[in-house]
Amino acid sequence: MLPVASLLILVPLIFAAVTFFTKTKDQAAGLGLVGSLATLGLTLYAYLNFDSSTAAMQFYESIPWVPFLGINYSVGIDGISMPLILLNAIVIPLLIVFSWKEDREAPNRFYGLILTMQAAVIGVFVALDFVVFYIFWELTLVPLFFIVNIWGGEKRAHASYKFFIYTHVASLVMLLGIFGLFYAALHQTGVPTFDIRELIAQFQFFESGLMRDGIFLAILFGFLAKLPTFPFHSWLPDAYTEAPTAGSVLFILLKIGGYGLFRISLPMLPNTGNPDLMIMMLGLLGSFSIVYGALLALRQKDLKRMIAYSSLSHMGFVTLGSAGLVALSVSGAMFQQFSHGLIMSILFMSAGVIQSTTGTRIINDLGGLAKKMPMLTVIMMVGFMASLGLPGLTGFIAEFLVLTFSFVHLPGFVAIALLAIVVTAGYHLWAMQRAMFGVYNEKLGNIGDINTLQVFSMGVIALLVLYFGLNPSPVLNMMIKNSEAIVSLAAGLGV
Amino acid sequence: MDELMYLAPEIVVVATGLVVLLAGVFLSPQSKNILGYLATLGILAALVLTVKSFGLLTMQGFQVGYSIFSEALNVDALSQFFKLVFLAVALIVSIAAIKYNENSDHTEEFYTLMLFATFGMMIVASANDLIVLFVAFELASLATYALAGYEKQNARSLEGAMKYFVIGSVSAALMLFGLSFVYGATGTTSIPMIAANPGLLVDNPIGLVAVVLLIAGFGFKMALVPFHMWAPDTYQGSPSVVSALLAAGSKKMGFVAAFRIFIVALAALQPDWQLAFTILAVATMTFGNIVAVAQTSVKRMLAYSSLAQAGYIAMAFAVMTPVALTGGIMYALAHAFMKAGAFIAAAVVVWMVTSEKKGNLDIPDHLDSFRGLGKRMPLAALSMTVFVFALAGIPPTAGFMAKFVLFSSTIEAGMTWLAVIAILNSALSLFYYARLVKYMYFLPPEGKKVSIPFPYAAALLVAVAGVLVMGIWPEPFIKWAMEAALVLV
Repeated sequence: MLPVASLLILVPLIFAAVTFFTKTKDQAAGLGLVGSLATLGLTLYAYLNFDSSTAAMQFYESIPWVPFLGINYSVGIDGISMPLILLNAIVIPLLIVFSWKEDREAPNRFYGLILTMQAAVIGVFVALDFVVFYIFWELTLVPLFFIVNIWGGEKRAHASYKFFIYTHVASLVMLLGIFGLFYAALHQTGVPTFDIRELIAQFQFFESGLMRDGIFLAILFGFLAKLPTFPFHSWLPDAYTEAPTAGSVLFILLKIGGYGLFRISLPMLPNTGNPDLMIMMLGLLGSFSIVYGALLALRQKDLKRMIAYSSLSHMGFVTLGSAGLVALSVSGAMFQQFSHGLIMSILFMSAGVIQSTTGTRIINDLGGLAKKMPMLTVIMMVGFMASLGLPGLTGFIAEFLVLTFSFVHLPGFVAIALLAIVVTAGYHLWAMQRAMFGVYNEKLGNIGDINTLQVFSMGVIALLVLYFGLNPSPVLNMMIKNSEAIVSLAAGLGV
Repeated sequence: MDELMYLAPEIVVVATGLVVLLAGVFLSPQSKNILGYLATLGILAALVLTVKSFGLLTMQGFQVGYSIFSEALNVDALSQFFKLVFLAVALIVSIAAIKYNENSDHTEEFYTLMLFATFGMMIVASANDLIVLFVAFELASLATYALAGYEKQNARSLEGAMKYFVIGSVSAALMLFGLSFVYGATGTTSIPMIAANPGLLVDNPIGLVAVVLLIAGFGFKMALVPFHMWAPDTYQGSPSVVSALLAAGSKKMGFVAAFRIFIVALAALQPDWQLAFTILAVATMTFGNIVAVAQTSVKRMLAYSSLAQAGYIAMAFAVMTPVALTGGIMYALAHAFMKAGAFIAAAVVVWMVTSEKKGNLDIPDHLDSFRGLGKRMPLAALSMTVFVFALAGIPPTAGFMAKFVLFSSTIEAGMTWLAVIAILNSALSLFYYARLVKYMYFLPPEGKKVSIPFPYAAALLVAVAGVLVMGIWPEPFIKWAMEAALVLV
């Protein structure tokens, strides 16, 4: 058996290092593609050898790192991480193909950073030790900071700093929570360990309810700010909008906030001092984000900014589904992460193409693009329809599961979220109608459709959205066992 | 004879200093470059001997250590760890100074002063007696006063040196005064003897006066707010290689001396100085970070960032658990690599600006000189990026590991409020560090590509290696630091 979890970090990292030293654009993009395809190959290997019938950790490896502090390099893959690794491994090579013909300064750094990012994100997904987890968590900041700051739009400096410092503070608060967990467990058992699962298991034995709440909230804050959820989202619109297309897609693939929620926060939640309050809080934040994001998206003039806010709205489903604490609502939340990654990749790629061909992203300045760019319109339509939750596409499956099964415990919050459904359909269709249909705006000049590579990369993602929308079980099956494990933990404590 | 074995690193350093001084008299200015290599070799040898002494200590037991010269000096885990810090800084500075002193007529003076300063710091680390500690402290200080004013044609260098000298002398007087009170109350200058008679200092007003004077005296070297006034001017004005020695090395001398005096000798007065250090630590890190944001001179910015970092290390006094001390001691080594490296990177840019005679010659280390450095001198820019990210505490660097241990101790001790302040500071610091990275990589270059001189490149690589090794393989460092911390408690 290959040590897949480690290789999934190492392979992109090594290719990234080599890519930094390439001289020409073709070399850089070529190496980037080879590296990401190798990662995809490894991921498929892991996927084919993955056992969906268990919630146990698979491909587990552990090497002592700083033994006397209980820090181990331990990694593994289970049903929470596998779909997200799959998502990254699929989209990154397509992203590289998508941006193949774009001219930009310092392509070696661009593709090198993309691969570094991939390694860091996968590192977060496979880490089973809090120190390893935190290191990769922080590492994801650096490539994104550079990508936004070097190749971003006009206000890139502002956006990149805001994102960097905002989420860094959140990570540090999370680190304090981790310290609290570590020392409380050390106090309890006398054995130092940073093992994620071990510390979560110890969590219930801490005596002070207040301390448990403090630790839980500190760690949760790190995740909610990264997800992001209202009211910690203010870095999102700037960063998503100012980032270059590839950067926006990388932001979308950065599903570590939601992942942390499933891996760490939810198993801890039933043992907090006041679990009902925590569930209420998560449900409220989730449903509020759904509505708030949708309303803000409705009033955006900038297409990319609209997509950014719609992303905030969609991430609300992750929080709401987690708070639902029913196996299928949690699975729905996990599936939303996967689905959202695919759908938003299409949307941000479309927005990027529109900007580079027409020179504007202001929705009212566009119009009738369908006449000049039929291919783009078809693919973008799939993305928009999936985003607004049309049955048959992945977005529907996720939102349906979340709404239906969260209703069991949180009917009020589901009712609030339902309000947003109309608005969501509204802003998607309205934007589509203004930008793509109607009379062609002649001021835009004579423009051409997207090139073959772009058709290929966006088309593949669109087909996946359709395929997993019709047949979600290959992905959903991986999640269900783990969701059941999380939920049974809560049910056992009568939460 | 055995006793001399434990002093081998010091003997090598001081002998090298003397040989360099003597050889300089006979060498022509053109051939004086060799002195730099000689000094580097000497420091390297001392470094190896220090690392080997850890082996000797393992046999003896780390905490006990060896007392030599009638207990005037103590060789234990703490002293050896700090010697490692001083020698690492000296090594980096010495390599870089080969280029800095190229074609200079005063090479031997530079290296001799630097080696004597290092020697003084090493003796302070081992000092087990107030008199020895003071004399060694002054030896290091006097040598660095001269080094700070080494560029005697440069008004800024002289201004910095003058400030440093005047404030330094006053502080030395305060320190000596404080030590004399301790002696007056206890009747001994031996640190273990003072510690053995806590009754003489507790509830004695003289003890309190001594603490106040000593905090002021050591606070100057550690550059804690409000004893920091000299630091920005001196770090900015001095030649960058000297700033590296001051910020990364001589500042740690203040810390190791304070560790020995406060934690060991004045352990009985802990409630008094612990409160003072808590306030100083918070004030120093907050002030340093806030002021650093506004700086346009990179060396000055590094000076303020160095204040902030001293504030973090001073948290060790505030928390005072073994983990906190481990963190503080580890931070001293991490900071040595990061800050020495950062100042050397600034030295490279200053060299580039002055040798091209183009740009802001008045303030050659202005942020504008760093524009597009990523294209002009990729190695210098990349290492500077590593250093500033390490200073900000981004993994996997030495700065992260040190902060990790240090900040975690505040949680362990239940001082969450201190952790929150430290974290907010840490985030604030990211702003000005990231700005420097932005200048180096994101702004267009204003000149041609420059090839970096070999000594500078080598010094940067040594520092980068230190930062990364400590970040990726922290175990031995944490272990040594922990042994060193156990010497204190």
